[in-house]
Amino acid sequence: MIENIDFEKKTDEELVAIVLENQGVFSYLVNRYKDKLLRYIRRISNVGLEEAEDMLQNIFIKVYLNLNDFDDSLKFSSWIYRIAHNEVIDNYRKRKARPQLLDIDIQESQIRELAGETDLFEEVARQELKQEISQALSQIDLKYQEMIILKYLEEKDYQEISDIIKKPLGTVASRMNKAKAELKKFLNANHKL
Amino acid sequence: MENEIFNKEILEKLQELKIKPRARWHFLLKNYAIWVSGVFALLIGAAAVSVMIYLGSYNDFAIRQDINKSFGEMLLLTLPYFWLIFLGLFIFIVYYNLKHTKTGYRYSIGLIITVAVITSIFLGGIFYAAGLGQELDEVLGQKAPLYGEMINPRVDFWSNPEEGRLIGVIVDQIGDEEFVLIDKDQQEWLVKIKGDDFVIPPQAGGPLRLIGEKKSDNIFEVFKVMPMMPGRGFFKRMNGGPHPPVPGNPRMLERIEVNY
Repeated sequence: MIENIDFEKKTDEELVAIVLENQGVFSYLVNRYKDKLLRYIRRISNVGLEEAEDMLQNIFIKVYLNLNDFDDSLKFSSWIYRIAHNEVIDNYRKRKARPQLLDIDIQESQIRELAGETDLFEEVARQELKQEISQALSQIDLKYQEMIILKYLEEKDYQEISDIIKKPLGTVASRMNKAKAELKKFLNANHKL
Repeated sequence: MENEIFNKEILEKLQELKIKPRARWHFLLKNYAIWVSGVFALLIGAAAVSVMIYLGSYNDFAIRQDINKSFGEMLLLTLPYFWLIFLGLFIFIVYYNLKHTKTGYRYSIGLIITVAVITSIFLGGIFYAAGLGQELDEVLGQKAPLYGEMINPRVDFWSNPEEGRLIGVIVDQIGDEEFVLIDKDQQEWLVKIKGDDFVIPPQAGGPLRLIGEKKSDNIFEVFKVMPMMPGRGFFKRMNGGPHPPVPGNPRMLERIEVNY
């Protein structure tokens, strides 16, 4: 019988080593990342819950299948987000259509940070701002949309984003600037309407 | 989503599909294969650089006035286009492979290409010093199709008697002032020496470059003779065949012994 307390104290990397010996322990890794990844999938692809769960299941199967490919050259969270990112991109290509409007789960602190970064108008009510951010995010290019989501909603740093999307740090930085500029452009345009 | 149900579904699916983690050697092998082919591409690029250095070390800029070409014309005529494209192709393969290593994505295209080019030049210099550039040029000269047209256009450049340039192999010496030369198309020329501006004395064997004037279909008056280095392998592919005889001289092709 597996003792919960033992495995919950383990780091991701330690759990990976144990999972390779004991498949049952994989559920601890699933528990740690299930909600985060489900939220990430829905934020970036705006698919329904059922489809998002199917994607999530595929992601965990791929994670398990490729566990031996993981090493300490990057954080486990970056590695699993990378697999999720690839799954979302694959799904996006299969559908060949962008979601019309993202329904993004954004917390108050994240709205504040995004508003600060993009010099957003303070007079706009929080709820209205949330809708405007969702709308503007839906309008910008997928590669910029993902930058904003990873940085401000998933709260990843530049190195983690670089490891997730497999691009150099310089590219991440320039894309982030472009993403913020694009977001601001659409926010301002939408706000004037 | 209920945690327990989702976890159970995942584990059941893993068992149902009998999914096991892929073996570590599978990933290691893939990674090594990418590295090995990248290093191999880098070495081939370096070999191309060694040939370019070899070709460049025998450039014809010093004699451009003798052949009535400007510096720009000489540059355009002698740039090793084939090898530059070849190097570019293998630098791209190095870039592609490095990008597909586990951490290759962390490096920018500019950095990877700069490092690959510098490494190719450095290794190419070593290969050149070891004689690889000359060796490759000679082997390709003997065997490669389109050698004179693409790989080393100097062979074609120097095969232009109308403009006073001729290359070939001496097959017979006729007194002190005449010799017979077979050009790259296996045509015999009676070459008459005019003046004494010889870089090297003509002697049977290795291929030579001549600067002079075409006097008739098979007679060439020469005032400068130089050895031919890049492209010399090309003349080793010569063999007997039909060719017009030199007027007033017996057919000599059967006596060719290309041995240098």
